[in-house]
Amino acid sequence: MTSISDSVRTDPDKENLAGPDATAKPRVHPRGALEYVAWLACALVGLGVARTLVTNENYQWDVVAQYLTAETVLRGLVMTIVLTILCMTFGALLGLFIAVLRVSPLRPVRILAGAYVTFFRGTPVLVQLIFWFNIAALYPNIAIGVPFTDVSQDIDVNRLISATTAAVVGLSLNQAAYQAEIFRGGFASVDKGQIEAADSLGMSRGTKLRRIIVPQSMPTIVPATGNQFIGMFKETSLVSVLGVGELLMSVQLIYARTYQTIPLLIVACVWYLAMTLLLSYPQSMIEKKFSRTRARVSNGPAVVPTQSELMGEAK
Amino acid sequence: MSQMNGDGTVHARGLRKSFGDRVVLDSIDLDVASGEIVCIIGPSGSGKSTLLRCVDGLEEIDRGVLRVNGEDLGFRETSTSYQALKRKEVAAQRTRIGMVFQSFNLFPNMTAQENVMSGPVLVKGAPKAESRRRADALLTSVGLEGHGDHYPWQLSGGQQQRVAIARSLAMDPKVMLFDEPTSALDPERVGEVLAVMKDLAQRGMTMLIATHEMGFAREVADTVIFMDGGLVVEKGKPADVLGNPQEPRTCKFLETVL
Repeated sequence: MTSISDSVRTDPDKENLAGPDATAKPRVHPRGALEYVAWLACALVGLGVARTLVTNENYQWDVVAQYLTAETVLRGLVMTIVLTILCMTFGALLGLFIAVLRVSPLRPVRILAGAYVTFFRGTPVLVQLIFWFNIAALYPNIAIGVPFTDVSQDIDVNRLISATTAAVVGLSLNQAAYQAEIFRGGFASVDKGQIEAADSLGMSRGTKLRRIIVPQSMPTIVPATGNQFIGMFKETSLVSVLGVGELLMSVQLIYARTYQTIPLLIVACVWYLAMTLLLSYPQSMIEKKFSRTRARVSNGPAVVPTQSELMGEAK
Repeated sequence: MSQMNGDGTVHARGLRKSFGDRVVLDSIDLDVASGEIVCIIGPSGSGKSTLLRCVDGLEEIDRGVLRVNGEDLGFRETSTSYQALKRKEVAAQRTRIGMVFQSFNLFPNMTAQENVMSGPVLVKGAPKAESRRRADALLTSVGLEGHGDHYPWQLSGGQQQRVAIARSLAMDPKVMLFDEPTSALDPERVGEVLAVMKDLAQRGMTMLIATHEMGFAREVADTVIFMDGGLVVEKGKPADVLGNPQEPRTCKFLETVL
C-alpha cells in the first residue's frame, strides 16, 4: 500500500520534469490569444484614426496652429477660467447654505430647500441660462428698499442682467443645487456616534456643524467637488448661447468670419482638453489622499482638517 | 425638586420606550442615589443600552417619569403634560450628564487634548489656556500623561476609551453613564479602563454602567440590576444578585456568562 503522499511523489507526469527546485520556480501567467487579438484590433483602429487625421486636409492643422494662441481665443480662455472660478465659488457657498437648510430642524425650511434643489436639478441648465437672460421680461423693474416705507431704489432689470451676469447667476444657482446634494451626502456620511458624542456634551447645532460634521465630511465632499469643478469648466461653454465671450464664443466669432469651422472647433477642444487634463492631476491626488484613509477610519489617520488647522493656530 | 439637592441622582418611574411597535423598555423604575454605583447586566437586546441612552437624552422616552440630577430630562412637567424644553435648555442639562460610549466616539479631527477640551471650550466657552491645563490634568488622571498631542487613531482602544472618559469628566458631570465601555476592547486592554472607572467610583461619582464584566460589577457596584426583554428582572446588592439570584431568568443568564 502506498500512502497518498507517495502517490503524488511518483506522479508519472511530474517524474520527467527537470530543472531547479520546485520551491524556487516563478509563477507565470501566460497571455491568452484574446489579448493579442485585442492589441491588433485596437492598434488598427488607432492607426485608422491617425491616418485620417494626417491625410484629410479638411482638418487644416495649419489653421489650428495659427489660431491656438490667437488673442481672441486666449481672451475667451481667460473668460472661461474666470467664469468657472466665479460660478464654483458662488455655487459652493450657496450650496453649503442650502445643505444646512436641508438639515434644519424646521420642516418648512427643509421643504423650501428641497424644492430649490428639485427645481434646479430637474430643469436643463441651458434653459435656466436663457431664462435668466430674459428675466427682465418677467420682472422689468425690481425695487430694493424697506417694506412699507418710502425708502426704495428702483433698478432696471434689463441693465442689471447683462449676458455675463445672467451666465454667472444661472451657472451658480444651478451649481448650488448639485453642490448642496454633495454637502448633504457628506453630512450623512459622518458616523452617528460622532453626533451622539457631540450631543452628549451639549453642543449646539451650529457648533456641531462647524466643528464635527463639516470637517469630518470633507473626505466625501472634496473629491466630489473637484469633479464638479472639472465639469463646470466644460459647462461654461453653454453660456456662448447668451453671447458671453468665453472660449467657444470666441472661436465661433472667428469662424463666422473665416468659415474655418472645424479647425476652430478643434482649437477650442484642444484648450478644453488641456485644461481638463491639467485639473485632473490635482483631482486624482485629492481622490487618492481621501480614499486611502476612508477605508480605515478607525485605525488610520483620518484625513479631515484637524482642529488646529481649522482654527488656524500653530501648535 | 431643586437642582442642587438632586445632583447626582437618577429617578425613573414607569419609564417606557418603544421603537415603532417594539417595546424595548417597559415600566422601568430606577432610583440611583448620589455617589451610588449601579451596574446593569443582561443579555444583548435586553434594553440596558437603551436605558442609558434615555438617561442621557439621546432617546426620548414615550411615557413615565425620568429625572436626572433632580430635573425632568428634556421636558417640563405641567398639570396636564410634559412640555418639551428648548434645545438650549436640553443641552444645558446634558452638560451635567457624562456619557461614555462602547465605540468611544472620539472626534477624529481633534487630538486627545482637543477632544478633552472640546466640551469646556466649544460648549461652555471656557478660556482655552485654562482648559488646556485642565485637559492635561485629566489626561494624567486617566494615565495618559504625554498623549495629549496624539490623534485617536494613534491610540489603542483602551487609551481611546480613557480619553473619552476624560472628555466626559471635563464637563464636571454629576452623573456618569457607561454604555458597555469595555465591550469593544481587546481583552488585555479591559483592565486599564476598569481601573480608571474604579478610581472614579472611589471619588464618589454617581455611575450607571451597562456591562458584561461580572467581576467588576461584583467588586465595585453598590447595586446590580439584571434586565431582560426590556424589564428589570432583579435588582439588589451584587452579592445577592450575582451570588444568590432569585429569579430563574437571572440564574440562567449567569450560568452562561460565568
